[in-house]
Amino acid sequence: MRFNRRGFIGAASAGIGLLAAPMVRAQGVANVVVIGGGAGGATAARYIAKDGGDRVRVTLIEPSRAYYTCFFSNLYLGGLREFDSLGHSYGTLASMGVNVVHDWAVGVDRDAKTVSLAGGASLPYDRLVISPGIDFKEGAIPGWDLSAQNAMPHAYRAGSQTELLKAQVMAMREGGTFAIIAPPNPYRCPPGPYERVSMVAHTLREINPTAKILIVDPKESYSKQALFEDGWQAHYPGMIERIGPDFGANIVSVDPAAMTIDIDGQVEQVDVCNVIPAQMAGRIVHEAGLTEGDWAPVNPADMSSRVDPNVFILGDAANQGDMPKSAFAANSQAKVCANAVLGALTGSRVFPARYSNTCWSLIDTEDGVKVGATYEPTEEKIASVDSFVSEQGESPEVRAETYRESLGWYDAITEDMFG
Amino acid sequence: MIATAIHRAALAALCLAAPPATAFSETSDADQRREAILALTPDAEYGAYLSSECTACHAEEGGDIPLIHGQDREALIDALLGYKTGTRSHDVMETIAGRLGDEEIAALAAYFSEVN
Ligand SMILES: Cc1cc2nc3c(=O)[nH]c(=O)nc-3n(C[C@H](O)[C@H](O)[C@H](O)COP(=O)(O)OP(=O)(O)OC[C@H]3O[C@@H](n4cnc5c(N)ncnc54)[C@H](O)[C@@H]3O)c2cc1C
Repeated sequence: MRFNRRGFIGAASAGIGLLAAPMVRAQGVANVVVIGGGAGGATAARYIAKDGGDRVRVTLIEPSRAYYTCFFSNLYLGGLREFDSLGHSYGTLASMGVNVVHDWAVGVDRDAKTVSLAGGASLPYDRLVISPGIDFKEGAIPGWDLSAQNAMPHAYRAGSQTELLKAQVMAMREGGTFAIIAPPNPYRCPPGPYERVSMVAHTLREINPTAKILIVDPKESYSKQALFEDGWQAHYPGMIERIGPDFGANIVSVDPAAMTIDIDGQVEQVDVCNVIPAQMAGRIVHEAGLTEGDWAPVNPADMSSRVDPNVFILGDAANQGDMPKSAFAANSQAKVCANAVLGALTGSRVFPARYSNTCWSLIDTEDGVKVGATYEPTEEKIASVDSFVSEQGESPEVRAETYRESLGWYDAITEDMFG
Repeated sequence: MIATAIHRAALAALCLAAPPATAFSETSDADQRREAILALTPDAEYGAYLSSECTACHAEEGGDIPLIHGQDREALIDALLGYKTGTRSHDVMETIAGRLGDEEIAALAAYFSEVN
């Protein structure tokens, strides 16, 4: 239901108890600021601009001119995707009327409702959406910090790090060792490190078949484990070894200069070392005082912050319950948030939240697997209501179909995010 | 574009609201359900909201995942009902359709048959 201004005043003065029309109607156009133009932020900006028309002004703050997707970046490592195909620009969002500002948000004044930018500007908001992704926890892997990311790349935010890791794999000595230090839960993309192992193995099988892959994993178990292990045995026999916490993989340090990993006292010399440290919500969310521990708690019904109802936190940074930290999840949450933000600012209808997720992973050319679920908000969290996972021993045709499906998903979801 | 589609969906809804969903003595349960959904007045705004769950995977031009934009309304209803009741199988679509009620199926089918 919508009121124009005159209608609202008239009705109210006539004494008909016509609910609270949103405050901003009286002020004219409402301001929505979105921090972060990734999976969650780009989707939120697009939906709020598309459905809000001229009643809202959307400003998207994002330092990069092009967003390179982490999703499918492992396929680039596997030689199955061009690097350029991962890049998306903000041109379409800008042409829809989103004001795209290439800068860093450095502070949020939640009382004054302003966001300050590195460039010095201060932007007022009626509602703020933050989807900054992850940062790494300092000291998570002793010996490693961002100054060591050239010697030991993380490649867990896509871009030059991804290209660097690929170059290191390509240049690895014959019969050398590629090591990957997997992160503890919770982290971005639960199957991500293991899809990465698969795709690196895919490349090494072609160019360096005597090479080895060593997974150093602080977790007892991981996403789609049986599917990955079956696949590795079938496609890359003898190449991949995993050390778990029972053998000290939860007590790990590195020496980037010497290219060694210390696993509970046992020192391994390696040739490439992909360090994926423990993670936390992007710094700006901590800066804004919206976190409890490493992540930002949100209301399951609409992704608003449990600390400040005028702020919404999406994607990896949010502590919401059962959804994995995935691009699919961030996109799904952004649409629920957009509906709630528009409802609050324009009086448009607000519908019950519906969330869903599917994560596809590629083990070898045309050997795709997936895991997915639908979710509903409860008081306490976003709760999984129904789920599925690929079965062990599926036919090559089913696996090839799953892979093709992931290609379709990539095209659709990037269109849904960036237009 | 979207606004036009919603408008058209609303018109389509008006035209389709007329026949009562009664007296299908010879038809199966599935047919009855389909007729019942066809007899509903689709909620265009709800359809537009619900459609955003679909567009995470279904691109506007189709591709490696089937095209649903601009498809026949009854075919869309049949497909969603099929996944919901298990006569069609696909793991993602079964979980998605599993939680769609008649109102949701009517709204989605109207939306995607009108949008292009
Ligand atoms: C190797 C790998 C594979 C993956 N595969 C999949 C997959 O197959 N499917 C899937 O669904 N997900 C996958 N993911 C996960 C997915 O990439 C993330 O979950 C998703 O990107 C999270 O979205 P987000 O909006 O929270 O953060 P991001 O997409 O990271 O976006 C955050 C944006 O915020 C910007 N930003 C940060 N701080 C500021 C600031 N202070 N001011 C302004 N801008 C800021 C950043 O520049 C960035 O562009 C994968 C991840 C990895 C690493």
